Amino acid sequence: MNRVRIVAGAQLRLFVRSRLAVVALLLLAMLSGIAAITGAAQAGRMAADRATAQQAANSEFANQPDRHPHRMVHYGTYALRPLGPLAAFDPGVDAFAGSLIYLEGHRQNATTLGAARESSGLIRFGQLTPAFVLRVLVPLLLVFVGFAMIVGERQTGLITLQSAQGLRMGELIAGKALALAAVAGIAALPALAALGWAAAQAPAEAGVALVMAVAALLWLGLWVLGITLVSARARSAQSALLALVLAWAVLVVLVPRAAAGVAALAHPLPSKAETDLIIHAELRQLGDSHNPADPHFAAFKAALLKRHGVDRVEDLPFNYRGALSAEGERLTSTLFARHAAEAAGVQMQQHGLLAALGLASPAIGFAQASMAGAGTDLASHLVFLDAAEAHRYRLIQSLNGLQTYAVRAADDAARSRDPIAERQSRVSARFWAKQKPFAHRGPGPEARAAAMLPGLAVMLIWAAVLGWLLARAGRAQP
Amino acid sequence: MIAALAREWRLLAGPARLGLLVLALLASVAVALGLADVRQTRADIARVQALEARETQAVIGFAKGDAGEFGYYRNYPVWRAPGDLAFLAPMRGDAVPAIMRLRMLALEGQINDNESANPELLLAGRFDFAFVMLYLAPLLLIALLHDLWSGEREAGRLAALDSLPGANRRLWSPRVVLRAGGVAAALLLPLLAGGLFEATALPRLAAVAGMVLASLGFWALATLAVARMQAASATQATILAGLWFAITLVVPAAAHLAINAAVPLPDAAAIARENREEVHAGWDRPKPQTMARFVALYPAYASQAGTGVAFHWKWYFAFQQLGDLAVAGDAAARDAGIARREGLAQALGWLLPPIKAAQAVQHLAGSDVAADLAFKARMRSFHRAVREYHYPYLFGGETMTAADVAAAPDFSAFAAGR
Repeated sequence: MNRVRIVAGAQLRLFVRSRLAVVALLLLAMLSGIAAITGAAQAGRMAADRATAQQAANSEFANQPDRHPHRMVHYGTYALRPLGPLAAFDPGVDAFAGSLIYLEGHRQNATTLGAARESSGLIRFGQLTPAFVLRVLVPLLLVFVGFAMIVGERQTGLITLQSAQGLRMGELIAGKALALAAVAGIAALPALAALGWAAAQAPAEAGVALVMAVAALLWLGLWVLGITLVSARARSAQSALLALVLAWAVLVVLVPRAAAGVAALAHPLPSKAETDLIIHAELRQLGDSHNPADPHFAAFKAALLKRHGVDRVEDLPFNYRGALSAEGERLTSTLFARHAAEAAGVQMQQHGLLAALGLASPAIGFAQASMAGAGTDLASHLVFLDAAEAHRYRLIQSLNGLQTYAVRAADDAARSRDPIAERQSRVSARFWAKQKPFAHRGPGPEARAAAMLPGLAVMLIWAAVLGWLLARAGRAQP
Repeated sequence: MIAALAREWRLLAGPARLGLLVLALLASVAVALGLADVRQTRADIARVQALEARETQAVIGFAKGDAGEFGYYRNYPVWRAPGDLAFLAPMRGDAVPAIMRLRMLALEGQINDNESANPELLLAGRFDFAFVMLYLAPLLLIALLHDLWSGEREAGRLAALDSLPGANRRLWSPRVVLRAGGVAAALLLPLLAGGLFEATALPRLAAVAGMVLASLGFWALATLAVARMQAASATQATILAGLWFAITLVVPAAAHLAINAAVPLPDAAAIARENREEVHAGWDRPKPQTMARFVALYPAYASQAGTGVAFHWKWYFAFQQLGDLAVAGDAAARDAGIARREGLAQALGWLLPPIKAAQAVQHLAGSDVAADLAFKARMRSFHRAVREYHYPYLFGGETMTAADVAAAPDFSAFAAGR
């Protein structure tokens, strides 16, 4: 053990003396610093903007004047996807998932906004965030710093000299790996500090932030093991470098994109326009509110009349128009829910395929785990969409309820012709303020930590395989 | 020269040959995926158009010739048809839809709708030809050329090789030409195949080939300059990989941050709310006031703008239009801000030739920010055409016959170009 420490110490001194390693580390620290500060500032500003916009939407709704409830159904409200504190570390899919949905009656609207639609094309090259630094930049830095650690000494004959003095290959490998791990720790420090800072703003997030830090260190640990392995087995420093840069390009750059392409092709997602049109067509089968002779709505009317023992809708003890609106909304919303669940199912299949392909590149597993922890993954977005739809349905049905029970049927029937009926069909403004505003917090810290497990598992498998290969290399003759 | 190239191919190490083949394979896969994507996009567009035609028939069934009902219920498909180079950087699954549906109602609430795409796949980025050209090809070129001289020096052969008469002409030039040419061919052959399949216009295909060659030319020159240095091959590889890393990843990502910070945009959520407020306030404002403001925009309807107390569609669509008008300035400023951001990114491209080449390919493929903005602009003019087609019926009170419905504007006339 003592000799391992000596090897590691000597290697670290070499790193310090090599200009390349120091300059690269300084550059990286600078980039990490920029990423951390801008990440925190941006995420903070976006979170505040969304909270403000949500507040504004809520208070605009609450402050509407006396109105007919159906006018409020069309006035609607907005739902904004909140941004958790750890998004400063890893904004994940946030830029590519719309953050605003307009909630109104009869329609399930698409999301709008999203940084990807308001940025230059450069956003396709990746966003400089602490998570990006850890996932993409630090591994390549470790490659540059560590590729020659062992093979370089073999080429100069130093290893033969050391083994003549009794140093075993296993001890050499362990020492080198330890030194590179120290560099990895230093390189990761600014990004992890950003994570710590984000967690400090929200102490409830500390636990999941810790798991995220473990995931990041595990990811970098894979690179330490891999680089040490290649450096121990390569024939020349140059071939070690080429092999490692190639491995980095394949694992970090190529496979995640190729996997996304495969997932999109394997589980195609219909366009929003097509889904909307299919819903319209299905709705006509289910019950066509434009058709006076529609069997569904005829049966609905007949059942209502029978239940209340009357012959005409005018004799019902409530406003039939409101009940009809509520029934129409119920029908459309069943279809919305089914198609949304289908679309979410396809997206989760795509996500699952990506996770499986993560066996080929742990970069996918690390990215998925990191986003899941930060609450900026696909699943969190889908949960938001569900919450927004649930809020929309509740709000609209509550307004339809007001139309049914707080608007007189006779006024409702005459309101577009008769100004007095129009005036009387309005409902007091205080009802708007009584509606519960949209409040969505996203999955809690425990759920998010649990969602990180698949990604962590893939990285552990890789660590086991690399560790085993390295142990075998350690038993070889120097 | 041919003989020298043949000799260099025989001398090329196994891994290098394999590298060229793998690059050719990856470029082919990227082109094939792009072609499949483009086909699916076209099928998506065609399916939605067909479904929408059926939907319009249903509207005809219940609207009973009322132009207001048509204006309210009828949707018009608008789309971005993939061009003959779209397979290089396809847009299927983009946040901006390839096809969407517009109604005659206020446009601001519709024009920013996202496609219901999987954001995780968008985040990963696309595996397309533009990606292979920008990221992968330079890496192989660097691997093949960085130790042109240092490799021979480290093998102890450099002095002997250099002392050959005409070493440059007979040895080094063919070697560079073969290796760089091999990388170029690995990209250009799949490109050509894709171009033939899509029947791409020759000048446009040649423009992409020019971008490929320019990008590779930049990397070949940079690599040779570093290879000329008196340094170990591993050092040369480190310098070049670092340069690649900076140009393709670090600088664009940092520039993206800087550009977005430098060019703030008007708050889109506030614009959306203001549009809604303005539209819905129309219900509560005196009808003559709304109609007077509308007539100021369309004086031709001054004599037909009178309304009674009852609901009237012309009044409804007038305040929809006034809602858009209220935020027109902010919406235009927002689009201008996005264009300015893209302009800065394009300016950065002039400093980093491979980025410029990638941007040019994106542009030719019709999937860059300029194409998004152009799509928005076409949607705006189309929406205007649809409104103005309906106004005479709404204000004149004429019924809309099936023939009138069929003669309404079609986005085909606006989709021209790309």
